[in-house]
Amino acid sequence: MGGRDNSEGPAGTPVPVETGFATLATLRIGTKAYVEKEGEKRKAEILHMRTRRGKPTFYVHYEEFNKRLDEWIDADRIDLSREVEWPAPEKPEKKKTQGSQKQAPSKSDQKNLKRSKSNRDISGTPEATSVNLPGKAPRATKAGGKENKEVLVTSEVPDGATPKPEDEEMDVVDLQDANAAAKAAPPEHYSREDEIEKLRTSGSMTQNQTEISRVRNLEKIQMGKYEIEPWYFSPYPIDFVDADMVYVCEFCLSYFDDVTPFERHRSKCTLLHPPGNEIYRDDYVSFFEIDGRRQRTWCRNLCLLSKLFLDHKTLYYDVDPFLFYCMATRDEHGCHLVGYFSKEKESAEGYNVACILTLPQYQRRGFGKLLIDFSYLLSKREGKLGSPEKPLSDLGLLGYRAYWQEIIVDLLMDGRVEANIEDIGAATAMTTADVLHTLGNLNMLRYSKNQHVIVLTDAVIEQRERQKAKEKVKGKRSIDPDRLQWKPPVFSAASRTWNW
Amino acid sequence: MTTRSSGQRFRQRKLSTKQNLAVLRENEIDSVVDDEATRHLTQKVETGVEKAEETEHHLQAIISAQAASTGGGKAAALYIPTPDAIASKLQYEDLYPRHFTQPATYIRFSSTVEDMVGVAYCMTSDDAAFVKDFNKKKSKSVQCTEDQFEEVMNYFEETSHTKQPYAAVDNSAMLPYEDFEADFDETISETSRRFAKAIYEHWKNQRLLNGNRPLIPTLKFEMNLETDDSDPYVCFRRREVRQVRKTRGRDAQVTEKLKKLRKELEEARFLMAQVKRRELLTRDQLGVDKLIFQQRSDVKEIKRKLSIKGDDEELLINQRPVPKPKLKVDPREVRQGIPGMVPKSQLARPDGRLVDSDLVYLEEQQAKRADAIDGFIEENLMKHQKWNIGWVDQTWRPITPPLEQAAAKSNFRPVFTSSQLPTPPASVSSDGAVDQMDVDQPSKQIEPRRSARIRYATPPDDVPFQEQSRFRRRTGRGGRVMVDRRGVKRQKLESIDERIADRYKFSGDSSEDEEIYPVDWTDNLHIRYRIMIERQGEKQHAQAAVQGRRSIDNHNRSGSGHLLPPSNAG
Repeated sequence: MGGRDNSEGPAGTPVPVETGFATLATLRIGTKAYVEKEGEKRKAEILHMRTRRGKPTFYVHYEEFNKRLDEWIDADRIDLSREVEWPAPEKPEKKKTQGSQKQAPSKSDQKNLKRSKSNRDISGTPEATSVNLPGKAPRATKAGGKENKEVLVTSEVPDGATPKPEDEEMDVVDLQDANAAAKAAPPEHYSREDEIEKLRTSGSMTQNQTEISRVRNLEKIQMGKYEIEPWYFSPYPIDFVDADMVYVCEFCLSYFDDVTPFERHRSKCTLLHPPGNEIYRDDYVSFFEIDGRRQRTWCRNLCLLSKLFLDHKTLYYDVDPFLFYCMATRDEHGCHLVGYFSKEKESAEGYNVACILTLPQYQRRGFGKLLIDFSYLLSKREGKLGSPEKPLSDLGLLGYRAYWQEIIVDLLMDGRVEANIEDIGAATAMTTADVLHTLGNLNMLRYSKNQHVIVLTDAVIEQRERQKAKEKVKGKRSIDPDRLQWKPPVFSAASRTWNW
Repeated sequence: MTTRSSGQRFRQRKLSTKQNLAVLRENEIDSVVDDEATRHLTQKVETGVEKAEETEHHLQAIISAQAASTGGGKAAALYIPTPDAIASKLQYEDLYPRHFTQPATYIRFSSTVEDMVGVAYCMTSDDAAFVKDFNKKKSKSVQCTEDQFEEVMNYFEETSHTKQPYAAVDNSAMLPYEDFEADFDETISETSRRFAKAIYEHWKNQRLLNGNRPLIPTLKFEMNLETDDSDPYVCFRRREVRQVRKTRGRDAQVTEKLKKLRKELEEARFLMAQVKRRELLTRDQLGVDKLIFQQRSDVKEIKRKLSIKGDDEELLINQRPVPKPKLKVDPREVRQGIPGMVPKSQLARPDGRLVDSDLVYLEEQQAKRADAIDGFIEENLMKHQKWNIGWVDQTWRPITPPLEQAAAKSNFRPVFTSSQLPTPPASVSSDGAVDQMDVDQPSKQIEPRRSARIRYATPPDDVPFQEQSRFRRRTGRGGRVMVDRRGVKRQKLESIDERIADRYKFSGDSSEDEEIYPVDWTDNLHIRYRIMIERQGEKQHAQAAVQGRRSIDNHNRSGSGHLLPPSNAG
């Protein structure tokens, strides 16, 4: 793994980046400049510009930071004393885009904007990228209305603006792993048609970057006792872009762009818990099972809400083929939704989780582990092995890795002298791939005396002991399988035919 | 997506997932084995994270920190920074009252959001201002409440949505108030309708301000426009239904199913309606009963006041007739019309309980019937004895009963006549046969009786059974009376022609043992006769001969008067 901070070197990239000094007036969309972020200067790309109260503001994406940290900044945070990278100049459409957005800034937030990442090119070498260029151009030519054109632009710009420093860096990383990556990664070049077909038949995660590279459209949401900053775009009604705050009812998840109708709604809403059957209850949490087809409105509301925090979640298709397992804590006010995971009624790829989310206001309190544990408990009841749908988010990856590690290490530490991967999988409802992933990641799979062995490393054991000590102090939250009252739902061929 | 590839990668190293691997501690393993294979095994693992995001700063920081810690180092308390969630300034307690009580059992719930949120339209601040303004001008009695306002607004919104679903797109004119008024339905209450006209103006203004789009912000669904596909706001598209082959059979099947469901629904509804009706009637009846009771007690009071003495029975009118009809309706007596029989069953139910409330058992019924018949016979026997007191039975054998054991052979009764034979008695009916058997046994003890000229009795022992003449009277179809005879010998002709003999072959309804041979010298009778002659001939030759002859004569005469020639025997 190479260092992360040598991203400036344009050397070796096929097309040199045009750099130079800029003034506020000459900053354009697509320009990369140094922006002050938490005390340090980071390179950031301007995704969007608008003028508020006579002052220009910029929507920027920090390189190497997750998109959830994209934000609106004032001009004074941009360091104009350093050179900026100009966007690749060769596309005439881009200027048009730029113009139109400047003229109608307030309505165009949703526009799919140019992103610096050439996501489709990451698995290739720089040479391959440039070779690909002409071939890829016609891919996004489903031109229709005005917005379409802009989509077209965004999907082409990355191709054109290939010589991104981070590309090179990624290549370095990838080269170590080139074989595996080539096999592991799904076809990088998802055509729109492929993508939609895939979504139609299964899945809730988009593989397509054009689907997700959007400017965040909501400023803030109010839900229950909290105000939450959204992380990503979510297709709430388009009128909401102007709202300072979107109010979400904690129980029915209905949304309002003003406090008056929200208060009126609260005076009428009688829902006190997720609208489904409670299938699990202990003294800490309850789980409710909700059928997307039967509770369409609620599940749509839930998806809209969770899309604010899940980058790859797609709302392209309706919620019918999913079941939603919602975790809630209880008090006299009702059952407060804490997190949920959705699950395909029938997953062709054996996923036991489609999307999984702990609401931001409840994060880092161990709820995620309960959700994951519950999803595996369901798989055990079904007698199946399960794995979460990919791609995982960064938080998802960390959450799952921690869970897998804990479960597998616990299992191996029960004094056994032998274990095989499949048995571990069967005992934990985890796929063998995930078991291997965990063991490999923890450096527990070794080759000794001409055979493979599983090593309980000192580090792993120590980590587990520390965790246990912590649990003793804080108390351990876990799912009790005996409290689950659930039979795997059965869906007939007819329901499959008739859209679940 | 990692499944396949990682498996492959490990297979290349010949790691079998089925094979048992030794679980070791770090100190149990040679630390110098850091060979190429191990390094490759653990170096890079698919994360399942989008490639572009895998390299993100914070994630990488944590991953490398963890890698460091698994290598023995200490993990720093790192986390991925996320945008804030802070406490809200809104008054939570006001917005979310404490209404929830947890049921003991797990919650089962199927109502939808639409069921639970009431009127979908929620007032905006503009609306609130309008209502306030509106109410100012009105008197206290006709104030428009927020609920009523929302009800009306909701009605306008919904109606215009159904009537002009594409109002925002095709620039159609606003629906005039009259159109709404004509369509008022149950979703809008009478009290709210009073305000409809005034609110309409407000609604119209709001709509116009909004470009005739719905006032409640809505999600963008697919409109089948070209731009749908790339519009990020268009969401929750319908998945195209998988095409099912459409056949007439399937159509019919579906129709049938729907019809059936409909029918069942109707039936259930009808049932419920009937139940409801029944319950209402019951209620009415209870009311009437109560009224009657009250009025009676009133009457009682009045009688007491006026000191009228007399039956209080009349106050209990509807309690008296209860036992009466039951006695009449005993079905068994109707069926069992045995004359002279004591109507036991009547006595058996003095309590006057409802007859049809009792379960009637077959065994009971049969036992009762048998009792009745026994009793009847017993009684007749007593009568007989009474009649016969002072009389001496001069008959050869006393009158039946006791009768002879019913001959297993047939139901024929032998008849002996001292003079002319009248019409033979009716043969025993088949259903009576069993009873007769039963009756025979007890009646044997009864003293023998004499009777008149005709007796129905066992024939003398000395006459062989086959030789006895027997008669039987039968009643056939259409009331014909038939007399059967048996053992009646015809006149034997000197020379019976074969042909003539053949004519009689089937004249009787006899079976083969009754076959008539004109002369059969091997016949039992004749053999016996000859034996007798032989035995006695030596001592009392003459006497025996005379006796034997007499006996045979006697027998033959009593049968048909036809004398068989015992000659040739010598």
